[in-house]
Amino acid sequence: MDRGKRIGVAGIVFLILLILAVAFQQKQEKKLTSYTATFFEIFDTRTDIMGYSASQEEFTEQVSLLKDELERYHRLYDIYNDYEGINNIKTINDNAGIAPVEVSREIIDLLLFSKEMYHKTNGQFNIAMGSVLRIWHDYREEGSNNPQEAVLPPMEDLQAAFAYCDIEQIVIDEEAMTVYLPDEHMSIDVGSVGKGYAVQRVADYAKEIGMESVLFSVGGNICAVGKKPSGMEWRVGIQNPDVTSEEAHVKRVDISDGCVVTSGDYYRYYVVDGVKYCHIIDGDTLMPADYFVSVSIVAQDSGMADALSTSVFNMPFEEGLAFVNGLENVEAMWILSDGSIEYSDGFSKYAVE
Amino acid sequence: MHLHSAGYQNRKEQQMEQKMKKNDIILIGVILVLALLAYVGMTLFQGTNTHYAEAVVLIDGVEYGCFPLDTDVVERIELPDGSYNVLEIKDGKADVTEASCPDGICVNHRAVSRQKQSITCLPNKLVVEIRNGEASDVDAITN
Repeated sequence: MDRGKRIGVAGIVFLILLILAVAFQQKQEKKLTSYTATFFEIFDTRTDIMGYSASQEEFTEQVSLLKDELERYHRLYDIYNDYEGINNIKTINDNAGIAPVEVSREIIDLLLFSKEMYHKTNGQFNIAMGSVLRIWHDYREEGSNNPQEAVLPPMEDLQAAFAYCDIEQIVIDEEAMTVYLPDEHMSIDVGSVGKGYAVQRVADYAKEIGMESVLFSVGGNICAVGKKPSGMEWRVGIQNPDVTSEEAHVKRVDISDGCVVTSGDYYRYYVVDGVKYCHIIDGDTLMPADYFVSVSIVAQDSGMADALSTSVFNMPFEEGLAFVNGLENVEAMWILSDGSIEYSDGFSKYAVE
Repeated sequence: MHLHSAGYQNRKEQQMEQKMKKNDIILIGVILVLALLAYVGMTLFQGTNTHYAEAVVLIDGVEYGCFPLDTDVVERIELPDGSYNVLEIKDGKADVTEASCPDGICVNHRAVSRQKQSITCLPNKLVVEIRNGEASDVDAITN
């Protein structure tokens, strides 16, 4: 073959390969479709799992694995319901002052993590506040069902209950895999961490089963696995507390392999004499905190973000700001009662301008 | 003779080579144009959205019905236990205007019209969700 022909053939072969490459790439892009699954069974809230798969069947199969895992954690961390064949946090509470309860690794790990967060937040985050939170829960339920008769719990009741909120009293035996509350008045409430902690474990599990791009939203706790297949980060809006406003969100953040969790007073609350009392209780005053409308935390770990959003919600702004700025890879955004917004020092690296 | 023949052969080869080159260029040109057309065609095809925006009502994750946003309508959604939500489609937006739930979060919620925006009523396990709407600027909302 002479030189000219060779160049010609080489050129044509190159072009054919190029066309095939473009066509293949197009097909690849098309192959991954975005799907979302929505369900309500878990953590008494709405869960959305958004992911990318080759087909609806494959996605449904993957999501059912994730859902089973979430459900398993939900049962283990439940403080209100019993489930046959398992010991959960309620079992521990029911056996307070009676006997140590044998539990699974998932419960031990959550309790150890919670103790770590207790120390990290100088005692602000405390899962041993169950006795106090139960009183507030009952008064809030009662007040929501009969708004005319809504009242605040008596402070002496709250203070009496607070005598049984020492987290150091919880006996965690890692050898025997048991947990024991030495006083019958003690009770564990993991409402401010269980959900976020479980979501992080399930997000890690999603990676294990080969899912590279997933976005979890469990009752507004957002947790991202990887980036989107396009290489873009996930864009998360921070809810506008004024839910009647046209603007759905007041700020947007971009995250990959990270989490955003918000604690706010605008969804779960009850009204007594025209004043709103939200569900987040400050361990220092035993009353609902009223420094902010909402606090959003951006962090690497969803359990940590969940615990921190509750803790920072209960801290005055200056204290919370110094606290967040002192933590690595944690940022926060505060919405104050007058609608103004404050940010931690490094928040702008996530914020969309 | 031998030399002459060789020279003749050479010229002919040169001519053919030039002709080849010309044909090659035409062929390359045609392929490039075809590839470009195919690419533009595929892009256009993929970008086309033939569906209209609609509000999808899900009850406990199961589809209850679809309501096109361009048709004003008021739908009272009754649940087996007697609870209800009233969905209103107006001015291209979907809104829950009345409900039996105690918290009223769904009623207080703003009307929705953009892709993936939704209104949730937790007590009734009801979701009003927008499909094929104008693209949303976020993937999720933290609350």
